[in-house]
Amino acid sequence: MERHARMAEQLIDGRVIEACQQGDREAFHILFETYKDKVFSIAVYSSGGDRDVADDVTQQIFLKLFTAIRQFRGDSEFTTWLYRLVVNACLDERRRRRRLLPWGETTAMKNPSEKKPQEKQFARLEVAEAVREAIGELKPKFRLPILLKYIEGLSYEEIAMVMGCSKGTVASRLNRGHSQLAKRLSHFNNPAAWGE
Amino acid sequence: MFSRHVTKQISAYCHGELSSEESKQFAEHIISCVKCRTKFEEVKLGVKLAEQLPQLSAPKHLWSDVEYLLDTPRPAPASSPLWSWPVQVTAAAVLIVVLSFATLWFQGVPSIPRQRVPEIALNPSWQVTRIEGTPKIGTEQISKNGSLGVGEWLETDENSRAQIAVGQIGHVEIDPNTRVRLLTNQPTEHRLQLERGRMSAQIWAPPRLFFVDTPSAVAEDLGCAYTLEVDDHGASFLHVTSGWVELGLKDRTSIVPAGAACETQPGIGPGTPFFLDASLPFRAALSSVDFHHDASVRSTSLMVLLNEARARDSLTLWHLLPRVYGSDRVRVYEKLAALVPPPPGTTREAVLQLDEKTLEGWKLSMEWGWIGGGKGKGKVWSKFAQDKNGLSEREKKMAPK
Repeated sequence: MERHARMAEQLIDGRVIEACQQGDREAFHILFETYKDKVFSIAVYSSGGDRDVADDVTQQIFLKLFTAIRQFRGDSEFTTWLYRLVVNACLDERRRRRRLLPWGETTAMKNPSEKKPQEKQFARLEVAEAVREAIGELKPKFRLPILLKYIEGLSYEEIAMVMGCSKGTVASRLNRGHSQLAKRLSHFNNPAAWGE
Repeated sequence: MFSRHVTKQISAYCHGELSSEESKQFAEHIISCVKCRTKFEEVKLGVKLAEQLPQLSAPKHLWSDVEYLLDTPRPAPASSPLWSWPVQVTAAAVLIVVLSFATLWFQGVPSIPRQRVPEIALNPSWQVTRIEGTPKIGTEQISKNGSLGVGEWLETDENSRAQIAVGQIGHVEIDPNTRVRLLTNQPTEHRLQLERGRMSAQIWAPPRLFFVDTPSAVAEDLGCAYTLEVDDHGASFLHVTSGWVELGLKDRTSIVPAGAACETQPGIGPGTPFFLDASLPFRAALSSVDFHHDASVRSTSLMVLLNEARARDSLTLWHLLPRVYGSDRVRVYEKLAALVPPPPGTTREAVLQLDEKTLEGWKLSMEWGWIGGGKGKGKVWSKFAQDKNGLSEREKKMAPK
């Protein structure tokens, strides 16, 4: 495990991707270790905080990655291709679950092992928890750009390529997402709420 | 470029996605447009909140689950009319054709460029330019240019000076014998620590993006130019040359316009702002009122201050209202009312009880005189002060019933 973690810190270069395309399980493990946390994070936030659902979605994403990586032809950045896959998987899961259960909004399912905000000791943790809940209540078209920006650290151009829209649309959706967050969590517009 | 409103560019501005020229035009528009500035504050809060989203750790069992799925053969699809034998034959034929093309295609797979896990698109450090002598970042001397990273100290000796580029929103000049550290470099917060020495800042960003921590107060930029000096005891002296700066510590806040200054003391925080052209007896008396430990001395000094006050010193008197009590507050009110009559509808009782709306209304009517009667910026800056109400919670609580 330690060996894989060290290897995961290396750059993902063309050799790793080529090896994955040839079915090299070792290379795929490197890819997995590099991206697992970011993919899982997006899945959790997209599912309104439900880690069980996120677990399933993440497994499906990597399964699909292993089989679909042969289709990657290098005409875009690998990360753009990967995150497009992640976004589509999260949207697919959402559509699937809408047929079964209400999604996100006030009926967001929570992992019972998660602590409620009032149990948190520190103001910043409370803020993070509140933000996580608020993110889960955003529409996907506003939530996903925020996740791609703040979890994956993508630029507007990269987000546009992942989501298949223009940079202007990305800017506009981020604006709307930020505004909605601010309105839902306006009580945090106060230094004391941040423990300051 | 931004002759119309700029609300759609706010997130892009916060994330550094605009060019230098666009950023500058954005900042200039924000300064003069109340609508866009209000929206900016809202989006800025949203950015700050979103920055709190933590990256989560995937569960440890995930890889073994994925491996299991990879190793487990998929069940064959259930027989259905859709999968009759003619369809199977056709599908097989299509598959053969596809595989043939795929073989030809993958033989020519271009080499995949080296990929790097994406990093957050924000310059993590500020550029430092040597002006004179040999300033140091950490232990390394700067010969021409250097980079000041978060947590790093920039220090100048008696013969050196340097200039720091504060992202794309301004610059700071560091005088000799000064020690500063970069604390935060985020889209919604650029923060320096001034431990000792003197710096001059020129910031052209919308307000509340640039902060300077000193031992006795935090200087919050409201779109301005100023110098800030900290002595070896942690006391500081702020002089604003353009725009406004807010000085605060816990529940004590002073809003300082161009041409005015403010002292701070460790353990107390910011004093009361005053104009530099006030008389020396006025300034000496104010220092006593702000920082002397003896209440009777403070009261006596207040009498001297009131005697020396001019109409322009209404800046000081207005700030003093919530900082003095009982008969002292009455004296301050009466002097202020004599110098700058309050607007219609302002009652003595409301002022003495520190009613927020009343005090804000009176301040708005005075600000023209504080900034020299100029148009535009006066209203703009008073809006910032209005947002902050100008009164701390402590000051509101201390108002007599």
